[in-house]
Amino acid sequence: MIIALIPLLPLAGSIIPFLFSSRSHHAAAAGCVAGVSLILLLAQAPAVFAGQMPIHSWQWIPAIGLNFAFRISGFGFLVACLILGIGLLIILYARYYLSTEDPMGRFYAYLLLFMGSMLGIVLSENLILLMMFWELTSISSFLLIGFWTHRADARQGARMALIITGGGGFAMLAGFILLGHIVGSFELTDILASKEQVQGHHLYAVTLVLILLGAFTKSAQFPFQFWLPHAMAAPTPVSAYLHSATMVKAGVFMLALMFPVLSGSALWFYLVAPVGLVTLVFAAYMAMFKDDLKGLLAYSTVSHLGLITLLLGLGSPLAAVAAVFHLFNHAMFKAGLFMLSGIIDHEAGTRDMNRLSGLWKYMPVTATLTMAGCAAMAGIPMFNGFLSKEMFLAQTLKPNLFGDQAWIIPLGATLASIFAVAYSIRMIHEVFFNGPATDMDKQPHEPSRGMRLPAEILMALCLLVGIFPAVLAGPMVNAAAQSILGPEMPEFTLSLWHGFNLALAMSAIAIIGGIVVFKFRRYLFDSHIWFSRYCDGKAIFETVTDWLIQSGYRLNQAVFNSSLQRYMALLIISVIVLGSSPFWRSETKFLGTATMTAIDPVTFIMGIILILCALATVITHRNRILSIIMLGTVGLIVSLTFSRFSAPDLALTQISVETVTIILLMMALFMLPRNSPKDSSRYRRQRDVLLAGLAGGGAGALAMGILTRPYETISDFFLAQSVPGGGGTNVVNVILVDFRGFDTLGEITVLAIAGLAIYALLHNFEIEAPQTDALGRPWTSDRFPMILANITRPLLPLALLFSAYIFLRGHNEPGGGFIAGLITAAALILQYIASGIVWTRPRLNFDNHIVMAWGLIVALVTGLCSWVFHYPFLTSTFTYVSWPWIGKFELASAIVFDLGVFLVVVGSVMLILVKLGAVNSPDAQTVSTLAQHHPDLEPEKEMF
Amino acid sequence: MTIFIEFIVSFFLVLGAFFALAGSIGSYRLPDFFSRLHGPTKSTTLGVGSMAVASAIYFSFQSGRISLHEVLITLFLFITAPISAHFLAKAALHQRLHQKKEGTEKIS
Repeated sequence: MIIALIPLLPLAGSIIPFLFSSRSHHAAAAGCVAGVSLILLLAQAPAVFAGQMPIHSWQWIPAIGLNFAFRISGFGFLVACLILGIGLLIILYARYYLSTEDPMGRFYAYLLLFMGSMLGIVLSENLILLMMFWELTSISSFLLIGFWTHRADARQGARMALIITGGGGFAMLAGFILLGHIVGSFELTDILASKEQVQGHHLYAVTLVLILLGAFTKSAQFPFQFWLPHAMAAPTPVSAYLHSATMVKAGVFMLALMFPVLSGSALWFYLVAPVGLVTLVFAAYMAMFKDDLKGLLAYSTVSHLGLITLLLGLGSPLAAVAAVFHLFNHAMFKAGLFMLSGIIDHEAGTRDMNRLSGLWKYMPVTATLTMAGCAAMAGIPMFNGFLSKEMFLAQTLKPNLFGDQAWIIPLGATLASIFAVAYSIRMIHEVFFNGPATDMDKQPHEPSRGMRLPAEILMALCLLVGIFPAVLAGPMVNAAAQSILGPEMPEFTLSLWHGFNLALAMSAIAIIGGIVVFKFRRYLFDSHIWFSRYCDGKAIFETVTDWLIQSGYRLNQAVFNSSLQRYMALLIISVIVLGSSPFWRSETKFLGTATMTAIDPVTFIMGIILILCALATVITHRNRILSIIMLGTVGLIVSLTFSRFSAPDLALTQISVETVTIILLMMALFMLPRNSPKDSSRYRRQRDVLLAGLAGGGAGALAMGILTRPYETISDFFLAQSVPGGGGTNVVNVILVDFRGFDTLGEITVLAIAGLAIYALLHNFEIEAPQTDALGRPWTSDRFPMILANITRPLLPLALLFSAYIFLRGHNEPGGGFIAGLITAAALILQYIASGIVWTRPRLNFDNHIVMAWGLIVALVTGLCSWVFHYPFLTSTFTYVSWPWIGKFELASAIVFDLGVFLVVVGSVMLILVKLGAVNSPDAQTVSTLAQHHPDLEPEKEMF
Repeated sequence: MTIFIEFIVSFFLVLGAFFALAGSIGSYRLPDFFSRLHGPTKSTTLGVGSMAVASAIYFSFQSGRISLHEVLITLFLFITAPISAHFLAKAALHQRLHQKKEGTEKIS
């Protein structure tokens, strides 16, 4: 329970900073949340150091193997400590860094959200759960990087980071699913224990590549490295947090997490080690040429991540220990350095090294701290960076799978170290020395105490760990490595002095070489100008995304060219292709064994009329009104067919739908010419006839094929269970509101969404209603003839009464909410037709979308009510009540649900028809104003 | 059910069928719009009305209870038929359709 709270507290607590108004309170609230999480985490320390792994698990969706499960491994503990510890320092730092214009509460909310999702990654026990947190970090880092939304570069950088890491996350999800498929479980404990099973599986290579894609994109490994420098548009606290301890470490965390199960094969080495090596050298090289302090640090980060990746790629146990140790060290010195660069930016007004110089005089403390950080970054003895770098260099010298070309790894490592020393010296030299301070916007000075304190703490730790590694970092690194390596855990000691060896020589070469490169950097800079012209990750990314967008657009144009005919043709062609393939492949006979029933004359004649009317609809389609009348006849025959085959519910529904549809079509016709022109070519008509024939014939054939063979349906179950299970004798209605209530809930939601979409489409849709008909004759002046208006008004209560009757009896006899809703809507619409919108609107004064919303609420709340009684969602109940005078009748909770259905149907049908009718009406413009100016007109409460 | 009732029911059924047929023939054969309007409005309404009466008698005697659905059907029929006829006539007047024109023009 407590384990789960560690990541969930910051996630849930992300709203807390919003509750306060002052800046200090924001920071304090965020700090409290993170602090409590840290205390909970540290409380687990004894267990972790004792080699245990606390696990807490709840079942969530066991059917797909998703559990709400958390664990604290040694490695997870170490990274979680970094996330929370550095997070706390960042919270303090940001309080002084952000200006008064920045929305502080929002910043801390995003930060806590991000912190919680990172903790979720490192503490998840279930892979799918881990994946959710993984995606949450992508989203929350997007929000953090784009925090200064007014800046274009921030928005672009955030978008780039989201696309790259989100795309990688997608690949990783696929990899996880494959992994879970191979192992048969998504629990990490099971997966980490099945190395042989995974590596022996034929899907191992695919799985590995997919998971590596996710890890490499997140950790900005080559060739995905370019998003990270562009994410520097974020506020510095964000950069300090995301690019030292957290976001980018998630990728290498994943590599280390999967190390026990995926590593050890040749494929792992060939995929991971070269990527790490290239990233290490390339990014170290790039870092030398960055004039922006944060840009330099960003490339340095990429380079160090490459170092960790390379170590993990080498695959030996000691390399894994070094990777964990370097991950720990890098987080500390890089977070500190980012904060210091932010301080310089804040106090000197710029972080461009071409403008900065001579700051030593004004900010000696900051300068000293930066030097310490740079020393750790460059790997100078006495600082923590030196220790892990020594371990790294020693590991590169071990024989590896490159065989004769194995020297390439130590060579690359030394080169990268030389560059690291060179860019560290350059950073110190150009910011703090290099002549007097001249080109600055303001007078530089030391920052406030609270801003410097986090950096001081981190630098002190760097130094202390560098001198007393075994005491300060030993147990933690030991526990972390133990949890990764298990029984393969090697013997190692963390100490400053390892004696004279080849690694020490390489360090010495790096330091001397770095000074030499720094001295002669001018020549390098000249050659780099040529290189940078051809190798700009951002430009390539933009070209690729532009190309993708363009081709997507072109494809869209080719397929979705706003031609309804083409959509229909494509849709029907795909249905024919998909639907006919089983016919070709099937060996069984097309017709089944069941004997056909004899055709009686009435059915026969109805069938003939149906066919003739359908044909007539097509033939007369140019005369639209005639065509609609034919279509109406088709609908009537269909409902007659329903009632003939004992489906009165369907017949009722069909008739109501038919009525409403015809009204809708008539209103649409108003905006169309009376006769549609002849605009299809002969070839197209033939094609369409063929398509229609195939589709219709295919559907008929399918129905014949199924109806002629004996089969078991679930109808018997419904028929048998209707009364005992649902308490209603109308099986159709019981199925709708009870057995399949969840389906119905989904359907009315879709209906409501469709209604809202139409509302939105028509909201500001104004066309001039034509003043005359197609032949130029003006409309009659008698727009709402008295006879219709006077008949429909008294009919309304009758229709509503009928609708109420249909609704109430629905559970036991034909009827129900859906049909009643259609009848009510038709009755109300009739008022609009008879008396016009100006007269009717103020009298039916309710908002249809609100009716719709209430319907959804009622249906949902009915479903939720069953939770109160500890039953599954949407369980219904019923009882029989005896009332004097009326007699015994049934009360079912499903009727409330049905009421929701009723309201949604009324709301959406009215919404669509009234909106379209308002567009059609010449006095549409006056309607809204008129409706508002009728406060004295009491809306008539016919409806409820 | 007595033979007497059966005769009455048959009588109304045949009557209804006759009026319906006459109405249909009328709306097809008569020369201009206004004459044709009589067919479906008067004759067919009467025809359906007779059928409803036949149905009422038949079901009343068959089930032993007075069947009133048909009365309602007839009522609504008598309300709606004049209204649609009224609208058709109004539209025709508005569009100045003339009597005695050859019977091909369509209403819309």
